[in-house]
Amino acid sequence: MLLVVTYSRAARQTLRNACEAHEETVVRRLGRAALFEETEFGAFLALRLRAEYGVDVQVERTDPLNEFEAVPEGVREAAEAYADREHASTPYAKFAAGDDHPDPAAMKDREL
Amino acid sequence: MRVDDGETVREGRVVDARALALSRADAVAAIRGDGAAVAVACPEPGAAHERVGEVYPELSVSIRGALAAAARSRGHTAPQDDRIAEIESELAALTVPDVSTRPARADVADRADAVERLDERVAELRGRVQALRERDAETDAVETELAAAMRALTEARTDLIAARENHDAATETARAARDARERRMVLEDRLANRRRAAREALADTIADEYRDAVAAAPWATPADPFEVDDVTAVLAAARVADLRAPVVLSCDRFDGPAMAADWLDAEVLRL
Repeated sequence: MLLVVTYSRAARQTLRNACEAHEETVVRRLGRAALFEETEFGAFLALRLRAEYGVDVQVERTDPLNEFEAVPEGVREAAEAYADREHASTPYAKFAAGDDHPDPAAMKDREL
Repeated sequence: MRVDDGETVREGRVVDARALALSRADAVAAIRGDGAAVAVACPEPGAAHERVGEVYPELSVSIRGALAAAARSRGHTAPQDDRIAEIESELAALTVPDVSTRPARADVADRADAVERLDERVAELRGRVQALRERDAETDAVETELAAAMRALTEARTDLIAARENHDAATETARAARDARERRMVLEDRLANRRRAAREALADTIADEYRDAVAAAPWATPADPFEVDDVTAVLAAARVADLRAPVVLSCDRFDGPAMAADWLDAEVLRL
């Protein structure tokens, strides 16, 4: 999908208008951002905003994340285990240190 | 006031310029000091003149906005004023870097095209060398061409890698620069909210006087002063405002411009 994020009031208003006018191309509206279908028309809408507002419009191409393909097992298991932790107040760093889960700082340094 | 259109000079608290070929736009511009078509000598227009200093049948107005301007002209302030000034100066001080990744994006696409083109060229030359060999023909010339194409391909690939790195770096910079844009939008939203609240607060300070002004109009008006027609609303707001500069009037609500000036308690330039 195409993620369009606006960074000025004028760009945000034009995005809103575009979303009103082209519901069929809008997958999701998120306040000052929107997800468009990845079609030529979705690209057209995104690009016309960028043409009008330049850097005030950020356009990203998004992909669903398949964690089984892209994320190491240790990270996946840590996420499951942390979601299932006993005490809601335990911060992850502490949780990871006790068990054999990856250290948050180390994870931050490793790109997917 | 003193109105001089180059031929006639008219002076007084009330000037009836209906006989002159004077446009409303020129008259208003002259009063506000940014027109040359006609000279109007008068006191400097205050805060409300822009909202209520020009009255004509087709005008449309936000009543609360006009009342807020009238309140300002009378020296009223809003509780939000300090915060508004703070936000305005914060906005003025904010530097928003303008980082476009467009050249980097276009460069990546161009380099990728070049690689693809050279890739095809190399494949084609390889095919020709192969074909010549199968016929035991001379291959030197084509092989020289192939070697040159392969060198060019290697170079183009290096360029593409450099362009991609450059694009990644530009994208990172643009993301960081958007923090400032984000901040600007937050401040602008906040400013708009505060200004709206200030407008409401200011309008409230003179709402009663406005109600009285509407009731005092020498024509029929509805009981709710916020349901009146736009011309009535502007005239009533103008009556409440401290206008100093003349009201440019081109409507027939009063029995003559002198009556209008009395009712508005302001100078009147009748067009």
